[in-house]
Amino acid sequence: MNADVLTVERREGGLAACTPSAPLVISTSRWYHEAFTQLLSDPHVRTIVLDMTTVSTLDSAGAAVLKNLQKTCRARGISLELTRLEDQVESFLRFSGFFEEPPPPPPATSAKRPPIVERVGAGAVELWKDTRDLIQFIGSVTVAVGPCCLNPKRFRPREILYYVQRSGSEAVPIVFLVSFLMGLIMAFQAAVQLRQFGANIFVADLVSLALTRELGPLMTAIILAGRSAAAFAAEIGTMKVNEEVDALTVMGFNVTEFLIMPKVMALAVSGPLLTIFANASGIVGGIVVGVLSLDLTPASFITEVWQILTVGDVAGGLVKSFAFALVVALVGCFRGLQTERTADSVGRMTTSAVVTSIFLIILTDAVFTVLFHVFSW
Amino acid sequence: MKDEKAPAQPEQAIVRTENLTVGYGGTPILKGVTFHVAEGEIVTILGGSGCGKSTLLKALIGLLPPLEGSVWVAGYNIAGPDRETALEAARKKIGVLFQSGALLGSFTLADNVALPLTEFTDLPGALIEEIVHTKLEAVGLADYAHYMPMELSGGMRKRAALARAMALDPQILFCDEPSAGLDPVTAAELDSLLLNLNEALGITMVVITHELASILTISRRSIMLDKEAKGIIAQGSPRDLMERSEDPKVRAFFHRNPELLHTAAKAASP
Repeated sequence: MNADVLTVERREGGLAACTPSAPLVISTSRWYHEAFTQLLSDPHVRTIVLDMTTVSTLDSAGAAVLKNLQKTCRARGISLELTRLEDQVESFLRFSGFFEEPPPPPPATSAKRPPIVERVGAGAVELWKDTRDLIQFIGSVTVAVGPCCLNPKRFRPREILYYVQRSGSEAVPIVFLVSFLMGLIMAFQAAVQLRQFGANIFVADLVSLALTRELGPLMTAIILAGRSAAAFAAEIGTMKVNEEVDALTVMGFNVTEFLIMPKVMALAVSGPLLTIFANASGIVGGIVVGVLSLDLTPASFITEVWQILTVGDVAGGLVKSFAFALVVALVGCFRGLQTERTADSVGRMTTSAVVTSIFLIILTDAVFTVLFHVFSW
Repeated sequence: MKDEKAPAQPEQAIVRTENLTVGYGGTPILKGVTFHVAEGEIVTILGGSGCGKSTLLKALIGLLPPLEGSVWVAGYNIAGPDRETALEAARKKIGVLFQSGALLGSFTLADNVALPLTEFTDLPGALIEEIVHTKLEAVGLADYAHYMPMELSGGMRKRAALARAMALDPQILFCDEPSAGLDPVTAAELDSLLLNLNEALGITMVVITHELASILTISRRSIMLDKEAKGIIAQGSPRDLMERSEDPKVRAFFHRNPELLHTAAKAASP
């Protein structure tokens, strides 16, 4: 079919007289495009005359074919003439800008990718700015704590309770499930090894110490990062998009006190509470493995846990979980406030809140590990 | 509310800018803008999209620190060296109606209106309830006090936001495109509400808009901004601007005719 849509008659002086035989519309435009490409591949063509008598219908795709032909002709110095245009077709071509002079070529811009050193430098500057802004934000929240302590009503107890429920109570099922399975997996892995030495009871030591000192606070914090940091960033980000944060600012509200403080306080409370619950759930998981595959009794397991754990182990884990909770809340709120007025930005900042929280949790954990080692905690 | 009294002198103005330059990231959107608004006046700030109307509003309500110049609002220079203190004082005297309404989505209408009252006054609950009822009644939403913002139409949300902006009886009300996105009848209702508030309470209003019907209905004076000029290109009574201005941009705006701009550009080219 594509050979049929355009009849080309070659004449002297490189003149090609073309007659389309089908409407120039979306269904035929590909054939016309191929036919014109074939015609233009002939280097002897100097002039194209297109008799449009038979073209009574033209759409955007057809106009695009003609504009493309016009562009190629201009580039190669070939003369193009459209004859016997119907009014409607001419009007459509005029609307499509066919008869307009081509715009001047845009000034050459150096779209070259900057060298790697420059990109690394720009990335480092960006990272430094982000870190500086985060430190400033933490500073502003710290400063806001003082006046709230002097007037506890400014802490907004109702809001705090609301967020304790959202980020604490509602996280209980997932924290239980994850910690229970963690305890179960750890106990099972340890049991395989320890059974060889008849040291089954030490599974209780391993599970309880690993959970209370490290995994309980860490897993809880990661769950909080996934749930609460994302929720805080999305909530504040959407408020920014809807101009609600601006409205609060111009009404004279201290945004840090109004929006940030309740969330930070709520997580500071619910983080350690969830960690205690996570520790207990993980130990229950250990007991299940101990009873089912190591011939231990729940009482002997619990007695062993009771003997091995010190107040320092539990307190150390809770101090960590308090710090992790602050990290999650602050990063979530910080990213929320960084949101620009686009839906896309809300998504990016929510993702960034989770990623940054998890990274800073691990970093904080590393700092605590060094400190606990130095102070023999 | 179109009286014939002469505009106030700058020193009597309740809102005043002098050589104000504002922009983002050090790039000015508006340069050297100087104007004033007298107490009790309704002034509309006009101009095409991207001319800096909302940027100017942000500078006037203290959301955007100016790059240069001064901004006086209710007697405080909110662009001066003691910006934070001045802003704190000025914000007690202003209300802002945002383009989207900006009601807090997790609060009912009544709670939204009560918010500034509970935060900045020590009024007992019963009085706050009474004030909230009065404000919602003034905007025709007394029956919707316990609705959430998302349960209301765009026009109702704007009216509720107006009630919240009026909660602390501000001296000045700044409105960012109040009739944007509303049908002509709802927009006219909102305009009429603004006029009533101005007449009944003498509130000064600075209204950012490009809705011709609103401009002609509510304002006694208009200030027109332009993107290329990065500042004010005309100011005066909107009727005068529409009928007498020789500036092609002003004429094109008021007569909704872009051809006037093209004709002027052709005449200017050699």
